Parts: sequence; C-alpha cells; structure tokens
Amino acid sequence: MKYSWFESEVCSKRHTVFFALISLLFLASSLVAQTSNDERPIPILTGNAGYFTNVDRGQTELAPEITPVLLVPMGDHWLVEARAAFEGEFERENGNGPYKGVVGKDIDYLQIDYIVNPYVTVTAGRFLTPFGIYNERLYPIWIRELHEVPLIFPLGTGSSDGAMLRGGFTINPKANLNYAAYFSTNSSVNKFESDRLAGGRVGFFFPGPRIEVGGSFQKELQEDRTNAFGFHFAWQPMRVPLNLRSEYARSHDGSGYWVEGAYRFNQVSFWRPAMRRTEFVARMQQFFLGEETDSSELSEYGLPHGNVRQPDFGLNFYVRDGLKASASYGRWLGTRNWNVWTMGIAYRFALPLGPTGAR
Amino acid sequence: MKSKIMLFAGILMLAAAAIAADPPKSSNSTADPAAISTTTASAERNSEQAENIRAEGEKRFRANCSRCHAAPHKFPPRMMATIVRHMRVRATITDADMRYILAYMTQ
Repeated sequence: MKYSWFESEVCSKRHTVFFALISLLFLASSLVAQTSNDERPIPILTGNAGYFTNVDRGQTELAPEITPVLLVPMGDHWLVEARAAFEGEFERENGNGPYKGVVGKDIDYLQIDYIVNPYVTVTAGRFLTPFGIYNERLYPIWIRELHEVPLIFPLGTGSSDGAMLRGGFTINPKANLNYAAYFSTNSSVNKFESDRLAGGRVGFFFPGPRIEVGGSFQKELQEDRTNAFGFHFAWQPMRVPLNLRSEYARSHDGSGYWVEGAYRFNQVSFWRPAMRRTEFVARMQQFFLGEETDSSELSEYGLPHGNVRQPDFGLNFYVRDGLKASASYGRWLGTRNWNVWTMGIAYRFALPLGPTGAR
Repeated sequence: MKSKIMLFAGILMLAAAAIAADPPKSSNSTADPAAISTTTASAERNSEQAENIRAEGEKRFRANCSRCHAAPHKFPPRMMATIVRHMRVRATITDADMRYILAYMTQ
C-alpha cells in the first residue's frame, strides 16, 4: 500500500512535470504564433500632399494637391486599394486680382486585387490603365522627378473600369517577366468615366544590369476603334547613382517620346550632407500631332495642338524621408516658344489604421 | 484514470501548440527568409543566414523599388506587409523579390 502510494506520488509528480512542460511549450508556441501574426498586413492610409507654383507662358498658377490612398488587405490574398485626387488650379484673372480656380476631384482607382498565385493577380474595378510605366509607377508627385508630366502622358493612359490580369515572375536568374492584360468597359458615370478598351503590357527586367524594356498595346473598342502602342525603357547603372527612363507612345492623336535622366550627387566629395540629398534631373521630349486629330479631343486629354519639343531641367532636394522640395525650368518650343517654371514641395504620408506590431 | 486524463489533455495541448506554432500561410510570409528564424539550429549560422537574407533583400530592394523612388524609412512590420503587397500588385514585383524585400524592410 505504501509502495502503491509512493508509485502514485511519483506518477503524479511526473504528470505534473509533463503538464508543466507542455504548458510551457504551448506558451512558447503561442508567442511564436503571435510574432507571425505581428507581420500580418493591416489597413493603412497613405498618399501624398504637395503645393506647387507653376509659371507657364508668364501666367502664375498655384497648384495645391492631396492624393490619399487607402489600402485594405483582407486575408492572405486580397487587397482593396483606392486613390482619390484633389488637385487645385488657381490663377489670377487677367493677370491681376485674387487667385481663383477650381479643385478637381477624381477617383484614380478603386479596385480589388486577388493574388491567385505567384504568377497571376486578378484585379477588378477601376484601375490605372497599364500603358507604359509613367501612369502606374511614376505619377505620384513624391515619386516623379519633374513636376510636369510628359507631353505624351495622356496617350493610352488614364483610368479604366473593368478587369485585369497581371503579375511578375522570374523566367531565369537573369530575367523577370511582368505583364498586364485588361478589358475596360464604356462608362459615363460621374468620377468613373472610362472607355471601352482592351490592351496589355509586357516588360522584361534584367536584375543584373538593372535594365527594363517593355511594350504596351491598346485597342479602342468603340467609336473609331483605333490602336495605340508604346515602348518603355529604364536603366539604373550599378556604379553611378543615375536613373534613366524613357517612353515612346503612338496613337491616332499623335506620337512622341521622352527621355529622362536623374543624377543623385551621392559621390560628390564636397558638401556631402547636402549634396547626397540633391538630385539633378534633365528631360528631353517631343510630341508630334496626329494626322486626323480632333481639336476638342486634344483639349479634353490635355495634349498639345501642334508639334512640340521641350527640354526640362530640375533640382530635387530630399529634406527627409518622404519630403521633397523641387524646382524646374523647361522651354516649350512649338509654333510659339515660352518658359515653364515649377517650384514646390511634396510630402508622402503613411498612417496605420490598426495595431502596427512590434518593430 | 486521472493520469490518463492528464496525458490526454497534454497530447491535446501539444497538438494545439503545434497548430499555433505553424505560421499562417500568407502570400507575404517569407519562404526562405522566414525559415532562418525557425529551422536553423545554430545561432551563429542563423545570424549568418539573416545577414545573407538582409543583403539579398537590400539588393532586390535597390533593383526593384529604387527604380522608381528613393528608399523610405522602415515602417512597422504590419504596415510594411501592406505596402509590400500593394507594391507587388502595382509594380508587378515577383513573389520571391517581395519576400526578400519584406524581410529586409522589417529587420
């Protein structure tokens, strides 16, 4: 009996130790699981705000802008993203008096993305038309190197309402392929205007030399059923802090190109603290008017009404992360010539809409 | 009887612990980068692998993200996970690049 009690006591202690160990393991595992949960995405509100002064043809324009972007991830595969744009354009009437103007309100995109697998993402809703690289990647004012968008920017770009397949994957260790194919429906709904289009873009990125080349195609499925196509090129040399980009686009409204180079003074040996934050930008661009163009359509899309070439030069100073001061000068060379000045500041913000997790 | 109940409870908790320890299958969870923190036995080797992941993540960040914009400061991990998912769609970054960049930006 005594032995039995002793055996029972030992077994009980063993069970207690076993139970304690399992409890510790459970606790530790829960902590590991918590760490994993800390990396789960949360909704955030990001975007940019800026204030620019533009002088075009001697006319001064004040252009404040705020562009909020809402990102709402859901589960492991879904993302809802939306961007609105509030852009003011204020000018003096007849060159004197108070500044007057309007604030344009637009919804650039309101889309839901489903990441099917590493190769395919399905997007539905209103999205930025994937034509070239400027519209999707370089348009935000805190990203673009020169405040003025390229002359050919309206060709093939804008927003589309419909569905899109897109993705990027590695073909081999030296090359990645990225693509987008979309269909867009005709819409005249306020803030959701869209043309009936089908198109796509394919790009090859070579990580070694950091070169990207690609092409875009678009077919209008309404009215004149015209085509548009374009090519893009980007290169970041490894040894020099230089960023080279270029696009060519052609549609029935016209054609043209832009070539832009941005050099960061990282390697300059004097005034290092200031110079490493400074960037010099130069851009050359040309626009050639299409043969059968409608003047009202050119105005609607913001395209020049004649052949134009325009060199631009600019300086960017990165004050701190997300805060950039810019100034640029350009010369419009068309049937008449004039100067184009811009100066302003752009700020990118990002606010969490949930617990951010430990850093 | 009591010991059997406790043994059964222990096994149940062990199973629960195993499930809880299994990280969520997320498109943003890093395959190779995540493996270093859980599967490597040696701390030294773990540290070396972490450094390799960091270097590879930085390289891929410069190749992909720096093509368009300057490097931002690092946001908290859960914000960064959202931003990287957004950029994966926007800039058609590959799955592998995204995992390395996320690991680099959250270290």
